[in-house]
Amino acid sequence: MILARVDGVVVTTICHPSMVGCRSIICQPLDENGKEEGTPILAIDPLSAGLHERVLVSTDGSHTRDHVGDPKSPLRNMIMAIVDKEEASV
Amino acid sequence: MRLGHVIGKVTLSQQDPAYKGGRFLLVQPLDKAKYQGAAMTPLAKGMSLVVYDNLGAGQGHVIGFTEGAEATAPFDNPTPVDAFNAALIDQIFYNPPAAK
Repeated sequence: MILARVDGVVVTTICHPSMVGCRSIICQPLDENGKEEGTPILAIDPLSAGLHERVLVSTDGSHTRDHVGDPKSPLRNMIMAIVDKEEASV
Repeated sequence: MRLGHVIGKVTLSQQDPAYKGGRFLLVQPLDKAKYQGAAMTPLAKGMSLVVYDNLGAGQGHVIGFTEGAEATAPFDNPTPVDAFNAALIDQIFYNPPAAK
């Protein structure tokens, strides 16, 4: 799971059939103290997270394929949870 | 899935039979500046990769491609593919919070 921040939305019309109807959002991975880390990635979002919200992105393709109901879907990243509060307790 | 900018095409003469009818694009992944609308000029030092494509992306398009095991999922029989073009991107709405 990747802790990420929702930074934008992507509009696509010509895409793999399993992506039709999914909201694909741009997520910026964050490190443990909330700073940006690496380049943004795309994920599909069944929970409709708002802008700049912190979310947990799952990179488990098989779960995403079950969710979209297409065993041949190339999708991998999916929003699993919206983070309320996080504490780095050492 | 990551966004990439199509900078070229790859045509194969000798190929694995699993690739019959395949189309390959030369793609450069977008760095953060290009998300914010910087010019999509191919970087000389940028890393580019070859993506399998059946959506008909052309030069200059921005595509969303997946890598790894998920790139081989859409094929009936197992094919050696590393990156698969999953979407042609029409619009990118990207506004990160102002850097604190």
